[in-house]
Amino acid sequence: MNRLLRIRGAWLVPVVFALLALGAAGAYAEGDPDMDPALAPLPPHPPIPSDNKSAPTVYPAKMDAKQELGYLLFFDTKLSGDGSLGCVTCHHPDQGWGFGDPISRGYPGTVHWRNSHTAVNSGYLNKLFWTGNSPSLEAQAPAAAGGGVAGNGSNDMMESRMWMVPEYRNRWKQVFGHSWPTITEAWDAIAAYERYLSQPNTSFDRFLKGDKKAISEAAQRGKKLFEGKANCIECHNGPMLTDEKMYNLGVPNPQEWSEAGLHQITVRWQNYQRGVAEKLYREGKHDLGLYYESKDEQDKMKFRTAPLRYLKFTAPYMHTGALFTLEEVIDFYNEGGGKNDPYGTKTKVLKPLNLTDQEKKDLVAFLDTLSGEEIKMPAPKIPPIEAVADWQPRK
Amino acid sequence: MKFPFMPRLSKVLAAALAATALGAAPLSWAGPPDIGPLPEIKFDAKKAALGKRLFSDPRLSGDAAISCASCHDPKEGFTKHVPLGLAYPGSDHFRNAPTLINTAHKGGKSGIPWHWDGRLGTSLNDMTRDMLTESYVMNIDMRIMQERLKQDPVYVQMFKDAWDGKEPANGRVRDSIPEFLKSLVSKNVPFDQGKLSSDAKAGMELFKGKAGCINCHNGVLFTDGKPHNTGVPENPEVFKNPARHLTYITFMFSLGVEDRFNWRRDIGYMTVSHDEADLGKFVTPGLRELKYTAPYMHNGMIATLDDVVEFYNQGGGEDRPGLKDGLMKPLGLSAAEKKSLVAFLLSLSGDDLAYEPEKPNLSYPAIPNWYEAKN
Repeated sequence: MNRLLRIRGAWLVPVVFALLALGAAGAYAEGDPDMDPALAPLPPHPPIPSDNKSAPTVYPAKMDAKQELGYLLFFDTKLSGDGSLGCVTCHHPDQGWGFGDPISRGYPGTVHWRNSHTAVNSGYLNKLFWTGNSPSLEAQAPAAAGGGVAGNGSNDMMESRMWMVPEYRNRWKQVFGHSWPTITEAWDAIAAYERYLSQPNTSFDRFLKGDKKAISEAAQRGKKLFEGKANCIECHNGPMLTDEKMYNLGVPNPQEWSEAGLHQITVRWQNYQRGVAEKLYREGKHDLGLYYESKDEQDKMKFRTAPLRYLKFTAPYMHTGALFTLEEVIDFYNEGGGKNDPYGTKTKVLKPLNLTDQEKKDLVAFLDTLSGEEIKMPAPKIPPIEAVADWQPRK
Repeated sequence: MKFPFMPRLSKVLAAALAATALGAAPLSWAGPPDIGPLPEIKFDAKKAALGKRLFSDPRLSGDAAISCASCHDPKEGFTKHVPLGLAYPGSDHFRNAPTLINTAHKGGKSGIPWHWDGRLGTSLNDMTRDMLTESYVMNIDMRIMQERLKQDPVYVQMFKDAWDGKEPANGRVRDSIPEFLKSLVSKNVPFDQGKLSSDAKAGMELFKGKAGCINCHNGVLFTDGKPHNTGVPENPEVFKNPARHLTYITFMFSLGVEDRFNWRRDIGYMTVSHDEADLGKFVTPGLRELKYTAPYMHNGMIATLDDVVEFYNQGGGEDRPGLKDGLMKPLGLSAAEKKSLVAFLLSLSGDDLAYEPEKPNLSYPAIPNWYEAKN
């Protein structure tokens, strides 16, 4: 919050006061020098970009034609290098629309190196991936489908595969007005579907909108701790419970890095492909996080504050999936975060919290209110590639 | 006054005069260049041994499923005995895999390009790179390949030995595989050794004379390196199997063919020139090692050498007026003449170069004391 206020304070101050006047109280945590946006209910649907329009509807309402096309494409493994995995592989409905292992699944022959994010509510975020390096769902999808340890697909191949599917050509006509699928339009349809995977009506949202019985008393006590003694709100604020800023919390590196060759390959490759200087490549034993984007020493090992919605279904937690339960997460913060800080970039916000067992339970009770019912959508029937009907021997 | 181009021009003139004097220049008024024995290629044995291991290692492909040898099988003439080649998982190839025997004689100054459409003629390093990264061939991010190799102690040692103490690097892969390919040349070829049977000798006379093969199949590789339309029929599999068709579309996409969805034939050299006059032209294939490389033609549509000779005897296949090469005319060969031609063609094949590829241990041992080790 600090930096933002310094730079843009001039216009933000009246906005904050206006919010205060409306009763959307900003929260001062004890010892917290700056004001954090209040917790707030989610708008009924994520913002819809003007260059990728779709219906303002969210699960479980009926999908429009573009969302429905995106539904098929999200589950379609043709959108990868060898046709063996799709978006759904690492963002699976049965695994919280994320991936159940600490580290996301890699492309065959490789391993990944970070935890998979849930797709649920991703439409409300302004920054995607653990370092926030993707500004939109439309930009995130190709980066994932093309990454060497993710989808490893190339645009020419994936686009040609779409064209060989008569059902897609028909649906394309309906959605985009022509029958010549392009890969960018495929990402647009997937983004529209991901916006549909939103959950703006949790008990937490109903509570904030005035239904005082929507969450338990324990959860209400937890909310007070969240905003007060535990100071979670310092970073986990606003309707998505994230400030979308980058911090080093001292989360330990995955143990596999020192024990498994495949992981060591990926760590070296990541440093290589993200363009670090040779010295850093030779020494690189850490995920440098935001540094890869900014190349600023201060940004080493910093990651975007995780949103806290749909949390119940998205274990394990943190960018390496190091923590398996919410209780472990709270213990982690109660101890003032982790110790993995080789570059001295760990945030000063984290301090031991001295929470009692009851307080920890209350916090978990509050976090539970951020997840509604599990969103379950069955795998759709994926249309196959088909041979053209008009081939004739040359005369 | 100085003319900066003068020295170069005089050099070219001198070279041309010298070449004419030696009778070796492929000048049009002198008729096609003669056929002849293969010159020797020098190579580095350690780099070639490293290249040989890399050649059969599936870790060089994106999903670690296929190697160079999957489509250029050492036990099948460094091609596959199927009409259309294999491809990266999720795709199927739309052309016949050319043999890699003698491939090191192509490219660069030879003027003979690689690929059926002749789209690349620079260097084996470039060819290797293209095959590694092409989405329907090996589809690898070469940086991942490099890090995989650095994780295999056998490679670390082999690179050290072959590359002056240096580590595995993707550039060195692209220089080591070519060293192996340079070692992959014809051995003990009857034609090169001047040991032709009388039947083969008769065939050679037909080759140079009545049958006119030498017009395109000339030089030491028996190819002029130029594209021609001979009217080879389409292989229907390319369009009846959607996995092949989509690979063909992908290929045309990468070469900027706008109308890629509408073609129902292999447009050949036109993908390179973007000129419809080149529709259906394919670069003349060399004729060495044919004994090991059936089936024939760019799409494997002709199964045997007897059938190939009969194809030309009939003046080639059919195509739109004006597209087929004017040299393609019925030859009126007798059965005995056809037999002699086949005997000559077989005399261009040497020893069988088949070998059982090493099956490398594909696991990646962890580097001990990783946090202390230098990457």
